[in-house]
Amino acid sequence: MTVAVMKTKAEQSFAEGFNEMRATLPGSAAVREAREGAARRFEELGLPHRRIEEWKYTDLRSAVKEALPARTGDKLAMTIADVIVAIGPLAQIDAHRIVFVNGAHRPDLSSRGSLAGLEVESLASALEDAQATESALSGFAGQESNAVLALNTAYMSDGAVVRVHAEAELEKPLLLVNIRAGAQPCFAAVRNVLEVGAKASARIVEAFVSLPGAASDGQINTATQISVGDDARLTHVKIAADDGSAVTHLANWIARLGKACEYRGFQLTQGINLARNQIQVVFDGEDAKLDLSGVFLGRGGDHVDTTLVVDHAVPGCESRELFKAVLDDHSRGIFQGKIIVQSVAQKTDGKQMSQALLLSPDAEFDSKPELEIFADDVVCGHGATCAELDKDLLFYCQSRGIPTDVARVLLIESFIGEAVALVEDEAINEALMGFARGWLSK
Amino acid sequence: MLEIKNLHVKIAEEDKPILKGIDLVVPKGEVHAIMGPNGSGKSTLAYVLAGRDDYAVTEGDILWNGESILEMAPDERAAAGVFLAFQYPMEIPGVAGLTFLRTATNAVRRKRGQEELTTPEFMKLVKQKAGELSIDVEMLKRPVNVGFSGGEKKRSEILQMALLEPTLCVLDETDSGLDIDALKVVSEGVNALRSPERAMLVITHYQRLLNHIVPDKVHVLAQGRIQRSGGKELALELEKSGYAEFGEKAA
Repeated sequence: MTVAVMKTKAEQSFAEGFNEMRATLPGSAAVREAREGAARRFEELGLPHRRIEEWKYTDLRSAVKEALPARTGDKLAMTIADVIVAIGPLAQIDAHRIVFVNGAHRPDLSSRGSLAGLEVESLASALEDAQATESALSGFAGQESNAVLALNTAYMSDGAVVRVHAEAELEKPLLLVNIRAGAQPCFAAVRNVLEVGAKASARIVEAFVSLPGAASDGQINTATQISVGDDARLTHVKIAADDGSAVTHLANWIARLGKACEYRGFQLTQGINLARNQIQVVFDGEDAKLDLSGVFLGRGGDHVDTTLVVDHAVPGCESRELFKAVLDDHSRGIFQGKIIVQSVAQKTDGKQMSQALLLSPDAEFDSKPELEIFADDVVCGHGATCAELDKDLLFYCQSRGIPTDVARVLLIESFIGEAVALVEDEAINEALMGFARGWLSK
Repeated sequence: MLEIKNLHVKIAEEDKPILKGIDLVVPKGEVHAIMGPNGSGKSTLAYVLAGRDDYAVTEGDILWNGESILEMAPDERAAAGVFLAFQYPMEIPGVAGLTFLRTATNAVRRKRGQEELTTPEFMKLVKQKAGELSIDVEMLKRPVNVGFSGGEKKRSEILQMALLEPTLCVLDETDSGLDIDALKVVSEGVNALRSPERAMLVITHYQRLLNHIVPDKVHVLAQGRIQRSGGKELALELEKSGYAEFGEKAA
C-alpha cells in the first residue's frame, strides 16, 4: 500500500510555480523534457526531511515554509557601480566578471572581451544547443534521489557554461557573480558548468551576494557541475555572503577529477539563515589531489550545513578536508563528511578535520564524519573539535593592550585563517578574509 | 610608583586565600626582586597586577602612580604602563607575530594619546628592537611564539616589552627554561630598559637571574605575605639557607 504523503505548502507551490512558468524557461525540447522529468521527481521526493539519514540535521521540509516566486527575464535597472558595492571585497581582485541578477545573465554588467583559453556562455543560450545541453545535464547521473538538484533542473534559469581549453593557463580569476536584488523576494535557480581541459590551470570564484535594499528574504538553489581534466589545476571558491534576514541557500557541487589533477575547493558561508552546501567529488583518474576546505559563520538563528561525499574510486589519490565553523547566539552548524574508499582504491591517502568555535552557550555544532573503507592499503583519518575562545589567549592579548573585542576578532580570524590559507591565492584569500571581517564587525 | 597595600587575593571561584596582606612599594627607577618558594603566591601577584580575572581581590589596593588599578581591564592597565612578561608565553596559531606586535603597539599608543605608527615606522622600530635582542625579523612573520624554543619565547616577551614601552614591568620567572646564554641576552634586554621612569618587579625562584639583573631591593614572599625585605645581598643569603626559615620546605 502506498501512503500518499501530504504535500507542504512550499512543495505545492514549487510544483504549481513550475507548471505556470515552464513555457518561459529556456532550452530546447530535450531540455523541456529533462525539466519535466525533474519536476515529477521533485514531486515524488518532496523536500528532504529528517527521516532521511543525510538530512537528519537539516529538515528542509519543515524549514522551508513557502516557495518564493521565480522570475525570469527580470531586468532590474542596475549599474556596474551597484555590482562593485554588492561584491564588496571581491572588487579588489583583478578578475574577469560574469554577472547574474536574480538568476538572469546580465551582459551589460559583465566584463567585456574574453580571456585567452576561456569560453563562457550563458546557460540560457547553451540550453538551446543540443551538445551543450548534454554536457550541462550529464554530470548529474546517480543523483536521482537528490530533490534539491531535481528542483534546480526543473527551474534552472541561467548560469555560466565555462570551458577552459586544454593547456590554457587563465591569467585572471573568473568571477561568476550572482546578485540578489530588488524589493521583491524571489527564488533563483542557477546552474554553472565548469569544464577544465587537460593540463589547464584556472581559478574560478562563484559568489552569491546581495545588493543593499534587496528583499530581506530570498531563496537560491545553485548547482555546479565541475570536471577537472587530466593533469589540470583548478582552484574553485564559492562565497555565499548575504545580508538578508531570511535567506535560504541550497547548493550542490558535483565534481569529477581526472588523472593527476589538482582540485582545490573552498566555500565560505556567512549571513545566510538556512544553508545547505552539498559537495560530491568522485576521483576518476589515479594520482589526483583534492583539497576541500571551508568556513561557515553563523549567528542569530542561522543554520549552516555542509555535507560532503568524497569517492575514492581509483587508486593513489589524496584527499584533504578542513572545515571551520564559528557559531554565535543560538546558531547551528553541521558538518557531515563521508569518505568512501573503493576496494580498488589502494594507496589512498585521506584526511578530514572539522572544527567549531562556539561563541555562545546556545550555539550548537554537529559533526558526523564517516569513513567507508573497502581497500586494505590506505591511510585515512578524521577528527573533529569543538571549543570556546581560549581564555588564556584572550588574557594574553589584553595584557598587551589589545581591547577585548579586537582580541576576540584577532583570535577568530586566526581560527578561520588556517582554512582560508589553503586556497593558496593571495588576492582571493584577502577577499575571503575581507568578507569574514565584515561579518565579524557587525 | 607602585604601591601595594594590604593586598588579599583568592582564586575567584574558590575560597582559598593565596595572598594574605601584601605591602610593597616600588619607586620609579628601581628594580625590586620578589623571591620565594613554589606556591608562595609569586605568580598570583604577577597576574593580579596585570588584571587576570581568575583572581579576586578581597581586601587592600594596588596603586600605580597614585591611582588604583583594580577596576581597570587588562588592556587599560597595559595602556597605563603595566606589562607582565609571562612565565609561559602563549602561542597564538594563525596570528603573525608582526601583526600581533603592531596591533598591540598601536592599541596602547592610541590609548595613550600618541600617534599610531605607520607600517614603515613600525617595521623600522621592530627591526631595531629585534636586532638588540638577537631576534631574526623573519621569525616574527611566523605565528606568535609557535614553534619557538624556550629562549626564543622569552626574548619575544622582552621584545613586546620594548615595543610597548611600559613604565611598570613585571617579569614572572623570566629565567625559567633559559640556558646561560639565553639568560644573558634576556637580561641585557631587560637592563637596557632600566630607566629613572620605570619601575620593575622581577619575580624569581633562584638567585641566578639577579646576578644579571641586579636589584635595588629583594623581598621574600612566603605563605602569601612579604616575610622579609633587604638589599641584593639577601638573594645570596637565600641561595645558601633556602626558604626553610619562612616556614616552607626546601624546594
